[in-house]
Amino acid sequence: MASVSGRFRSDHQQPRAAGPRLSVQDLVKHFPVKHGLLDRERKLVRAVDGVSFQVMNGETLGIVGESGCGKSTTARLLMHLIEPDSGAIAFDGEPVKGTAAALKAYRRQVQMVFQDSYASLNPRLTIEDAIAFAPRVHGLARNPALARAHALLDRVGLAPHRYAGRYPHELSGGQRQRVNIARALALQPSILILDEAVSALDKSVEAQVLNLLLDLKQELGLTYVFISHDLEVVRFMSDRVMVMYLGKVAEIGPTARIYAAPQHPYSKALLGSMLSMDPDRRTRSAPLTGDPPNPIDPPPGCRFHTRCRHTAPVCSAHAPDLDVVGAGHLAACHLVHAGSAHPDAPRGVEL
Amino acid sequence: MSTLSATRPAASDADDTVLAIEDLKVSFGSGTKQIRAVDGVDLTLKRGETLALLGESGSGKSVTLRSVLRLHDERRTRISGRIRAVGRDVLELSQRELADFRGRQAAMIFQEPMLALDPVYTLGQQIIEAIRRHERVDRAEARDRARVLFELVQIPSASQRLDAYPHEMSGGMRQRAMIALALACRPRLLLADEPTTALDATVQIQILLLLRDLQRDFGLAMVFVTHDIGAAIEVADTIAVMYAGRIVESGPVRKVARTPAHPYTQGLLATRAAEGGLNAGLALAGGSKRTSRLPAIPGSPPDPADLPPGCAFAPRCSKAEAACRAAPPPPRMVRAGQMSRCIK
Repeated sequence: MASVSGRFRSDHQQPRAAGPRLSVQDLVKHFPVKHGLLDRERKLVRAVDGVSFQVMNGETLGIVGESGCGKSTTARLLMHLIEPDSGAIAFDGEPVKGTAAALKAYRRQVQMVFQDSYASLNPRLTIEDAIAFAPRVHGLARNPALARAHALLDRVGLAPHRYAGRYPHELSGGQRQRVNIARALALQPSILILDEAVSALDKSVEAQVLNLLLDLKQELGLTYVFISHDLEVVRFMSDRVMVMYLGKVAEIGPTARIYAAPQHPYSKALLGSMLSMDPDRRTRSAPLTGDPPNPIDPPPGCRFHTRCRHTAPVCSAHAPDLDVVGAGHLAACHLVHAGSAHPDAPRGVEL
Repeated sequence: MSTLSATRPAASDADDTVLAIEDLKVSFGSGTKQIRAVDGVDLTLKRGETLALLGESGSGKSVTLRSVLRLHDERRTRISGRIRAVGRDVLELSQRELADFRGRQAAMIFQEPMLALDPVYTLGQQIIEAIRRHERVDRAEARDRARVLFELVQIPSASQRLDAYPHEMSGGMRQRAMIALALACRPRLLLADEPTTALDATVQIQILLLLRDLQRDFGLAMVFVTHDIGAAIEVADTIAVMYAGRIVESGPVRKVARTPAHPYTQGLLATRAAEGGLNAGLALAGGSKRTSRLPAIPGSPPDPADLPPGCAFAPRCSKAEAACRAAPPPPRMVRAGQMSRCIK
């Protein structure tokens, strides 16, 4: 893994000013699970298991994968809502430390919007108080904090004179998600982590919120990490896409390349599950059978080898590295790595 | 498969119509605040056909579906019109007839299988109970049929899985088990209420294909309720689009998907098409400063307790004029088989 991330970094060797906003290095998070009363063996959910990637300034990085692939755990690790078991996150090249003061400074810069718009808001705070809450915690007086809340409400398309004094239950799902976006912006962060932020909305309302996110990004120069199970929406929103499978990165690269020519067999299968939108070109057979395996005790070697149609002996023996397959495009698969022990791999320079 | 279909009773309705709904109206609540959830829905469905009922939350699609099994609380619901399903007038059935009708003639599958399955019985016990509730067969024969059903819905190691409890199965397998339970008594009408909404894309396509195959092999009539126009296009022969308690457009899947007539359907398809392709070119050009926007329907769905007098979509419609706001637009045939409630 270390050599891989070294390679990745050398691809983007640039002066710090234009370097990555967020740099994630070999992040690991395991959760213990309680088993039976007499079962002494301590089992682990390997939710995130050695994940490295970077988020560049001003881009939208999409993260896709099935449930249990670790995309939401990655989001929570990025926010420091949970502590990693190992690995490091750097913001603008500086390691993010876990002290209270350091986290307070970090969270001015990195904010998050969740899927459940209602659970995200305190039901006993009015909308304006909810948005003004963080600025007040960070030292702004009440009146300027409320003025900022009103300006933000206006910006997300909710007229302050109508909505400022309302409570969360008085708003529709789309309106509440606008409030959550306003609240996330209240500290003027540079990065928003959007974890299934539009997934609970009706389609017609979802499109409006996506447009709002695009506008805000352009106006405020924001950087997004956009996590969704909806492959169409990720394609629309993202500059680069990261495909995760059972706690690992399967593939990462420019959106158009990933969608047009995915290299990892899992990416192919995942994108091949998208609906055809054409009654004459309906899907005839499902690209994958069965459900995603449990991240407790994931398979050895490449985690996808149990469902992969290209499995060779090397796949269960060694986990493939995340290696370059094109410009800014990396995949973790023996099949596409020249000189790997996979019989169908391209013949290339021996490493 | 043949063991199940061989004993299927012959279609009793001469014209093969399995479901006919006429002027269905459903409202909830009492006194001053009446919520008109369904406001005059007409539908027909023949044997071997799949109808997708497409709409957003609050459009009345699930309320319509649940009315076919009379699942609403009768004390708080006012329901009128006519529902003829598998040769029975559903709204006229006694409680006893209703209990025989549910599961035997028409069965339902839900978005959340854990709500449909009983957590304290094994899946096999539940299917056996359903079969023996409706038919005089002994336990061994019922279990054998349950195993065949599990094989039909492609649950691996079917006999062992019959002894599993619902919580021991993964989400996709529970969905398959629920489909097996619904098919246990060989219904002729399958009602599916967002059965793939909570699933991953990789599992969703498996379940859609399974439903499509079962529907074809058994000659089932299926009503498939969804908010996802992509899922509707994948499984349906006919699409009916609901908005604010009415069907605003209906027609064969190819016509609705390619030449949508109602501005609401047009908006849904335009958003979806733009998500799918519009930006691919931009990203190829290396532009991270993305400026294109999605064509989005403005506003939000109306409050079903406070519907406007005219077309309910008019407040969000770019083509709306005075006549649209005056009276609800009548159904109009725009092409053979394609209806739209739009005067424009």
